[in-house]
Amino acid sequence: MTTRRILYYLKIWWLMSKNSFLMFLVQKEAFAIFLFGKILRFGFFISFLYFLLSGSKTLAGYNTEQTIFFFLTFNLVDTISQFLYREVYRFRPLIVSGNFDLVLTKPVNALFRSLAGGADVIDLLMIPPLIAAICFLGIKISPNFLLIVSFVALVLNGLLIATAFHIAVLSLGIITLEVDHTVMIYRDLLNLGRFPIDIYREPLRGILTYLVPIAIMITLPAKALIGLASLKGILVAFLIGSISFFVSVRLWNFALKKYTSASS
Amino acid sequence: MKRYFTIFKISLQQEFVYRLNFIMWRVRNVIQIFLIFFLWDSIFSAPNRVLFGYDRAKILTYVLGILVIKAIVFSSRTVDVSGEISSGALTNYLLKPVNYFYYWLTRDLSSKLLNLGFAVIEFGILFIILKPSFFLQTDFLVLLAFFISLAIAIFLFFLILFITSFIPFWAPELAWGAQFIVIVIISEFLSGALFLLDILPKAFHEALYLTPFPYLLFFPLEIYLGKIAGLRIVRGIIISLLWSLVLWILMKSIWFRGLKVYRAEGR
Amino acid sequence: MIVVERLVKNFEVTEKKSGLVGVIHSFVFPKKKIVKALKGISFTISQGELVGFIGPNGAGKTTTLKILSGILFPTSGFVQVTEYTPWNRKPDFLKKISLVMGQKNQLWWDLPASETFELNRAIYEIPKKVYKESLEELVTLLDVRKLLTIPVRRLSLGQRMRLELIASLLHQPEIVFMDEPTIGLDLVAQQVIRDFVVDYNRRHKATILLTSHNMDDLVNLTKRVIVINEGGIIFDGNLQELVKSFAKEKIIRVYISKKIDYKNLQKVGEVKEIKIPQITLSVPREGAALAASELLQNFPVEDLTIEEEPIETIIRKVFKGVR
Repeated sequence: MTTRRILYYLKIWWLMSKNSFLMFLVQKEAFAIFLFGKILRFGFFISFLYFLLSGSKTLAGYNTEQTIFFFLTFNLVDTISQFLYREVYRFRPLIVSGNFDLVLTKPVNALFRSLAGGADVIDLLMIPPLIAAICFLGIKISPNFLLIVSFVALVLNGLLIATAFHIAVLSLGIITLEVDHTVMIYRDLLNLGRFPIDIYREPLRGILTYLVPIAIMITLPAKALIGLASLKGILVAFLIGSISFFVSVRLWNFALKKYTSASS
Repeated sequence: MKRYFTIFKISLQQEFVYRLNFIMWRVRNVIQIFLIFFLWDSIFSAPNRVLFGYDRAKILTYVLGILVIKAIVFSSRTVDVSGEISSGALTNYLLKPVNYFYYWLTRDLSSKLLNLGFAVIEFGILFIILKPSFFLQTDFLVLLAFFISLAIAIFLFFLILFITSFIPFWAPELAWGAQFIVIVIISEFLSGALFLLDILPKAFHEALYLTPFPYLLFFPLEIYLGKIAGLRIVRGIIISLLWSLVLWILMKSIWFRGLKVYRAEGR
Repeated sequence: MIVVERLVKNFEVTEKKSGLVGVIHSFVFPKKKIVKALKGISFTISQGELVGFIGPNGAGKTTTLKILSGILFPTSGFVQVTEYTPWNRKPDFLKKISLVMGQKNQLWWDLPASETFELNRAIYEIPKKVYKESLEELVTLLDVRKLLTIPVRRLSLGQRMRLELIASLLHQPEIVFMDEPTIGLDLVAQQVIRDFVVDYNRRHKATILLTSHNMDDLVNLTKRVIVINEGGIIFDGNLQELVKSFAKEKIIRVYISKKIDYKNLQKVGEVKEIKIPQITLSVPREGAALAASELLQNFPVEDLTIEEEPIETIIRKVFKGVR
C-alpha cells in the first residue's frame, strides 16, 4: 500500500462520507429523532446502571464507576464501528438489486466501498461526548500513563475485530444473501458486552472470549485501564485481533470469487 | 367472527413463510435474556442476598418471566401498520368490510400465540440449562389478578403501538424514528424488561406508576411474584384500565383525523 | 480491441423445492443442475467499433458482457480486453472500461447527480481539466444541465438514464459496455439514448458493445450485429444483411372498431392473429407504409402500429437458416 494509494482511499472515503452526510441534511427531522432516541437510550441505561449499583454496591466485584466505565467502553467501540460501517446495513439491497455489479466495475476496492461507503453522522455526533466521558471517568479511575496507553491500544484492537466482523457479515451476505439477521445477531452479542463479561458463566463466557471475542473487544480494554489485565492476555488479544482480520479478508475474497462465478 | 378466524390462520401461515426471520427473532430474544439473566444472577450470587425486595428465586423467576411475558405482550405484527399507511396500502383495507383495528388485533394475537409457544419451549430449555431457583405462585386469586393484568397489558401495548403507527398520516419520514423511540425505550427500560423498576428511587418509581408503561410487564410480574398485594393490585389494575380507556379514545380520534388527511391526499 | 475465443460459461444451480419437507430435502440432498449459459463463443471487436449483441432473454448477452467487464469468471476460454484479462480487475483496466446497465444505478439516490459525478472523478482520478471538458460535453449532448442539481430520486427514468450515462462516461473510457440501456424507457427517451450512443462513438472512437432484446435499438444504431441464442452465436455480421435476409417482414397491428370481412384483409397482408378488436398482420418490409395507409383508408381502424418482427421470430429464422 503506497502512500499515494492510502491518500486515494482517504479521499474517496471523505467524498463518500460527505455524500452520506448530505443525505442526512435531506432528512433532518428523521435523523434528529434518531439522535434523540439514541441519547435517550444511553441516558436511561446509565441512570438505571447507577441506581442498580447504588443498591447492590458491586457487580461481579466492580464498583459503580468501574461498571459504568465498562458500559462507556462498550459504547465507544459500538458507536465508532457503527459510524464507520453503517454501509454494511445497506449491503443486502445492493446485492439483491444487482447494483453491486456496478461497484465491481469501478477501480475502487469493492470491499472498501461496501464496508465504509456510508458513514453515519448520528453516531459521529455521539463520539466526542463519549470520548470526553471516557477521559473524565478513566482518569478518575486510574491516571496511570501505561494503563491508559494499553487501554487505547486495546480499544483499537477491538475496532479491528469489529472490522473483521463486518467484513465477515458482508462475505456471508454475498454467499447467502442474508445480511440483516447476521448483523442483528452480532449486535445482540455485542450488547452482552455492556456489562463486564465476568458476570457470565461458562460456556457463555468461553464463547464470548474466544469464539465471538466480545470479551477482548470491550471488557479487556476496560480491565486494562483498571489494571486488571495481564500482559499475556493483552498479547493474546492482539493476536486474536490480527488473525480475525486476516481470516475475514480471506473470507471476503472467497465470497467474491464465488459471486463472480455464480452471478446470473 | 369467522372472518377474523381466517385472518388469524393466514397470519400464522405467513409467519411460517418467513421462517428464517422468525427463528432469528427467537434466537435474538434468547440472547437478550442471557444478558438479563446473568446480570441478576451475578448480583444475587450470594445465596441469601435480599435486594430491592427480591431474593434469588424471585429475581431469576422474574427474568424468565420476562421472556414469556415479552412474547405475550410485545410480540406484534402491528409494526407493519405505519408502512401500510406510508405506502398507501391502507386503501385496500378501507375498501374491505374489515375493521382495521380488529384486523391488526387478530394478527397480533396470532403472532403472540406463536411467540408464546416458542417462549415456553425456550423457557423450558433455559430452565434445564441454567437451573435457576424458581418461585411458583400458587394463590388462585393472585394468579387471577395476574392474568387480568396480562390481558390489560396486551391491550395497552397494542394501543400504544397503534397510535405511534399513525404518524405517517402526517409525517411519513418520522414514522420509523418515532417507533424506534417508543418501542425501544419502552420495551427496554420503562416496562421493566431490563432493569427492575424497584431500583429507582421512590419518587421516580411512584411517578412511573402513573404512566401506562410499567403495566406492560413489570406490574403483572410483580403480582405473580407476590411482591404487591391486595389494595395495591386493585389500584394498579384501575390505573391501567383508565389508561386503556384514555388511549382508546385517543387512538380513535387520531385515527379519524388521520383518515381525513389520508383521503384528502389521495394516496 | 476485444478478443474472445471459445468462451464457455456454466452456472451451477441448486434446485429448490417448496414446502417444509422440500426445504429440508433440498438441504440434505441438494440437487445441482448445470446451466450452460455460453457454449464456446468466439468473436473479435476492433477499436472504435459499435457492435450490437442481440438475442432473446436468457441467450447469454448479459453473461458475455459481465465476463468482458470482469464481473464474472468464465468456465473456460480466452478473453482479452485491450491488453488485460478482465476478471483480474486491475484498476488500470477498470479505468479504461465502463459498464452501463439499464435500470441499475450507480447514482446516489437522494442526492443530485453532481455529487456522484464528483465522487467518480475522485474514483477514476480524472484530471480536473479533462473532467471539466468531459462533463461539459456530456451535459450538453444529453441536455441535462437543469437536472444536475435535482435529487436523483425525483427524476423520471429517462432523465436518470441520461445522468447514469454521464456518470459512466466522465472518465472517457476506451470501451463501453451497455446492457439493455433502453429498457423501460418511453420511445422518445429511447431515441435520445440511441442518438447519443452513435454520436459518442463517432466523436471519441470508443468501442461500444450494446446488448438488447429490442430490434429497434439496433436498426439505426449499429452496423455490426452479433446474434446470440441459447449460448451460441448464430450470426455475426452486417446488420443490413441480417435484416435483409431474415427480417423481411414487418408486423402491423390494427384495432378495428367494427366488424369487417377478413378476406379483404388478406389482400393487404398475411393475417397472423385475430383477437378482436386486435388483428395482427405481417407485410413485406418495403411495403409496410403502403399497407398501413391502405388499412387506414379502407377499414374501420381505430388504432394502428407498425412494429419490427419480434426478435425471437427473426432469431428462429436465422437459426433455421430461413431466408
